[in-house]
Amino acid sequence: MSPLAPFKVARPRDVAEAVALWGAAADSRFIAGGTDLMVNMRRGVRRPELLIDLTGLDALGEFTIAKTGARIGAGVTLARLAREPAIRERYRAVTEAAEAIAGPGHRTVGTLGGNLCLDTRCIYYNQSEWWRSANRYCLKHRGDVCHVAPQGKRCHAAFSGDLAPAMLALGAEIEIASPAGLRRAPLADLYVEDGRAHLTLAPGELIVCVVLPAAAPASAYAKARLRRGMDFPLAGVAVALAMEGGAVASLRVGLTGTNSRPFLLEGADDFIGRPMDDAALARLDRLVQKQVQPMRTTLASANYRRVAAAALARRLAARLANDQGATA
Amino acid sequence: MNHAATRAEAERRRVPLIDGIEKVTGKARYTADLDHADALVGRIFRSPVSHGEIVRLDVSQARALDGVVAVVTGEDCPHTYGVLPVAMNEYPLARGKVRYRGEPVAAVAAVDAETAQRALDLIAFDVRELPAYYTAEAARAPDAVLIHDAKPGNLERQVHHSFGDVVGGFAAADLVREATIDCAEVNHAQIEPHAALAEYDPFSGRLTMQSVSQVTYYLHLMLARCLDMEESRIRVIKPFVGGGFGARVEALNFEIVTALLARAAQGKVMMELTREENFLTHRARPQTAMRIKLGMTRDGRMTACEAQVTQRGGAYAGYGIITILYAGALLHGLYDIPAVKYDGYRVYANLPPCGAMRGHGGVTVRHAFEALVDRMARELGLDPFDVRRRNLLKAPTRTLNDLTVNSYGLPECLDLVEKASGWRERIGKLPRGKGLGMACSHYVSGAAKPIHWTGEPHATVNVKLDFDGGITALTGAADIGQGSSTMVAIAVADTLGVPIERVRVVAGDSAVTPKDNGAYSSRITYMVGNAAIDAAKNLKKILVAAAARKLDAQPEDVICEGGAFRVGAHGQAALSFDEAVREALVDEGTITAKGTFTTPLEAQGGKHKGGAVGSTMGFSYAAQVCEVSVDEDTGEVRVDKVWVALDCGRAINPLAVEGQIEGAVWMGLGQALSEQTRYLEGLPAHASMLEYRVLTSAESPPIETYIVESVDPNGPFGAKEASEGALAGASPALVNAIANALGIDLDELPVTPDRVVDAIIERRRRTRRDAMRKVAS
Repeated sequence: MSPLAPFKVARPRDVAEAVALWGAAADSRFIAGGTDLMVNMRRGVRRPELLIDLTGLDALGEFTIAKTGARIGAGVTLARLAREPAIRERYRAVTEAAEAIAGPGHRTVGTLGGNLCLDTRCIYYNQSEWWRSANRYCLKHRGDVCHVAPQGKRCHAAFSGDLAPAMLALGAEIEIASPAGLRRAPLADLYVEDGRAHLTLAPGELIVCVVLPAAAPASAYAKARLRRGMDFPLAGVAVALAMEGGAVASLRVGLTGTNSRPFLLEGADDFIGRPMDDAALARLDRLVQKQVQPMRTTLASANYRRVAAAALARRLAARLANDQGATA
Repeated sequence: MNHAATRAEAERRRVPLIDGIEKVTGKARYTADLDHADALVGRIFRSPVSHGEIVRLDVSQARALDGVVAVVTGEDCPHTYGVLPVAMNEYPLARGKVRYRGEPVAAVAAVDAETAQRALDLIAFDVRELPAYYTAEAARAPDAVLIHDAKPGNLERQVHHSFGDVVGGFAAADLVREATIDCAEVNHAQIEPHAALAEYDPFSGRLTMQSVSQVTYYLHLMLARCLDMEESRIRVIKPFVGGGFGARVEALNFEIVTALLARAAQGKVMMELTREENFLTHRARPQTAMRIKLGMTRDGRMTACEAQVTQRGGAYAGYGIITILYAGALLHGLYDIPAVKYDGYRVYANLPPCGAMRGHGGVTVRHAFEALVDRMARELGLDPFDVRRRNLLKAPTRTLNDLTVNSYGLPECLDLVEKASGWRERIGKLPRGKGLGMACSHYVSGAAKPIHWTGEPHATVNVKLDFDGGITALTGAADIGQGSSTMVAIAVADTLGVPIERVRVVAGDSAVTPKDNGAYSSRITYMVGNAAIDAAKNLKKILVAAAARKLDAQPEDVICEGGAFRVGAHGQAALSFDEAVREALVDEGTITAKGTFTTPLEAQGGKHKGGAVGSTMGFSYAAQVCEVSVDEDTGEVRVDKVWVALDCGRAINPLAVEGQIEGAVWMGLGQALSEQTRYLEGLPAHASMLEYRVLTSAESPPIETYIVESVDPNGPFGAKEASEGALAGASPALVNAIANALGIDLDELPVTPDRVVDAIIERRRRTRRDAMRKVAS
């Protein structure tokens, strides 16, 4: 195993202290489960001086499901998300996404906030220091060329969190703490299409909780991957679909694994008022294929990720429509 | 024999591995667990470039760093090493040239890991880069720079074998078909990462090496060679080993480097490789491109076979010559094929060197062969089981290439899996997306000719009996998790007629145990098992003679059973085991008996060049059926179940045999579904357990195992090998099942979802094209 560079650990007692600690070192990082960060530290792509341990903060463990909606603390573990009956009942896509993350061991310690803030991934980035140095580094870390698209100017590392598309499809908002206080924002605003800096959080900002609206349409999540255990999504799709009288009342499709950010499919509203029939499913397929932008950031081909994303969207939409008594 | 009695007897033989409890309770100490509190930390500086001449290697700053005790480079070892005496073309630390990214160039021993890493960062290394080749095709191009001077065309070895009337065979066929099949390079991915602990004692000039080796004897020889030391001053010990599969079946560079560091530091050095370094050390199954051609009569009789095989072997020779020879030799011995032509090419490339891996040499060619047989059976409208049955061997026999087949349980294997899987009732009647496929395979029970020909027996086992009545079996055979020490205990206990608890096995310590060639080619059960039986028989003679003396009987009338001696088959137990031991020790003291095993000359292969490879006393045989479900949208292949039967001669320990069969199928499925190495300009993109995808429990299907006991006339208690035979059939059974499910033939391994989707899209296009042509005409 590669040795870790030295670092300090701080254990704040509350959120205010946690965000205040951020400025105490030149390079600080929040840590909860550590399943993403520790691997990156071992590989030398992250060398924080200070780790701010969030595991003792009660506020991050909030778990309230009420008539008005749900408030889920960023520190809630993936394992708990996967097994909570109330989540399964109302926000099925969240359950299915949580169940599909990594392996059981990771889910026991990994958290909701960690998965939403997962670092982007690329075969040229998630490698050892020796490897990256032999390859003259890359645009995401220490280098000036993106090996995936050497002519381009931006990093194409792919966002690979499973929960974000489910949360996006369900219309989630997040509460963010900073030394200036709390703010609330749509989850979609957390992300931008840049593999090097895909999160819009300002230094010292911390996601405290995710808020889900009370009205939740039927939803589902599925991911394409090489193995049914462990693997990050090559393409992940969450669909939230409400049908009324055989026609689409609302449709939202969240996508992950194909771009530097998770995103909602544009043009989903055009399906409203029409049946989810074969023609609609074919249209959905084309729409997904057009909007995803997989690059050679994984060992599986980019084209496969495009085709698989579309196939999964079609399948989930058909199934959800079918479950609601509408013939697909 | 009464069936119930057989079952009871088989049940009695199910012995949990004698070191199993230590492993599952965490008591077992693997190399990295050994006490290394006072050891220096060793680290290796590796080449960042694929191919080039070393212009400058300056370690002076590293050497000057506080806390660095030793730095070694290629200058410290002018000797090549390698497993084959004819092909040692590798230095433990590069000299003059580097030939792959990750090749060891220098190494440091420091007081801690951080200092060692800082020292590596201070090494200055300049290389004049040469063109690098990452495919066999590029390396064989006419204008390619030579990776090794004396090897024109970057060809390590070519093999051209032809047996029988190949032209006539194809002429007699009703159907001749060819397939071009490519199997990706795979790695052993054993759970325990490489580690070595070396201690050099400056006062006695002795070196003690503890390492993860499967072949402590070969390691011993290479340490002596590379360190210019007398073999008598070296001791090699094998602690618990967490998996081998061929990864440690030759002395590895890091082992020699650790020893060089220990001597330079005049002390103790612990070297633990990262997972990435394990993949860089590699020595596994090469990427193999095959063109295979088969002739068949209308009723499925094979008439001739032609195979052209190209292996991309990596930067150094390693086992390469053996691998390319095995690929041809193992075309024989499974079926009765009247004519076989083989052309093999082992090619150098600027990648980590390949080596031996479970099913050495035979796996990819068997995959191609079995897939082609299936395609031809379909075309002829024949059942794949029937085709196999039409081409069976009849033991005893000798194959075209002069290999000995004394026992042959393949027919029973076929019957068992055909019935268990419900093949007859279900084939062709499964719902869309589901399919059944089958394939056969075989493997040697020990290479009949050892790599180093010394004239010594192939195996030697000592047994020691002392005042306490305990029997200690001493063997150099490396238990790497396959259960060889348990096998030795059973062989000794059963031969003597004592409970297994009375036997203790001490294995793998050159200062104590007799030399053994090691854990490779599935040789241990056959060879060491026979030697253990021989040793126990020799000990028994002594005990029986003592008992006879005490009982005033003739030795031939004395029977030892259940740990007691009696006169005559139905005589009363007259002497306990301890009493017999006490009598035997009178005037003699501690008793040591020895047993050996030597492979007879006629089993050591044909006289043609390379004829020794593939030669063995007996082949194991396997047949398996694989059931799959394929998701046509995502290309995901799910293996629902595997039914597998293995003829291992006789199951000395059915419990261990079942585990080995399951493991072989599981590894074969990993290669079939998701395992592959991938290099980006020579850098391993797969070098973690996330990107190198062995099957997790989520993808591992239930495996129903059946044991066939053909009772080999020369095997220990009739046994043959059990660990490798079932592997090569797993991947062809899987692709044949996919063909059955979807009607698509996949020419590449692994069968990843993207390949399946591509094949489905291609089939749709073809169907559309054909339909349009029909409309047009």
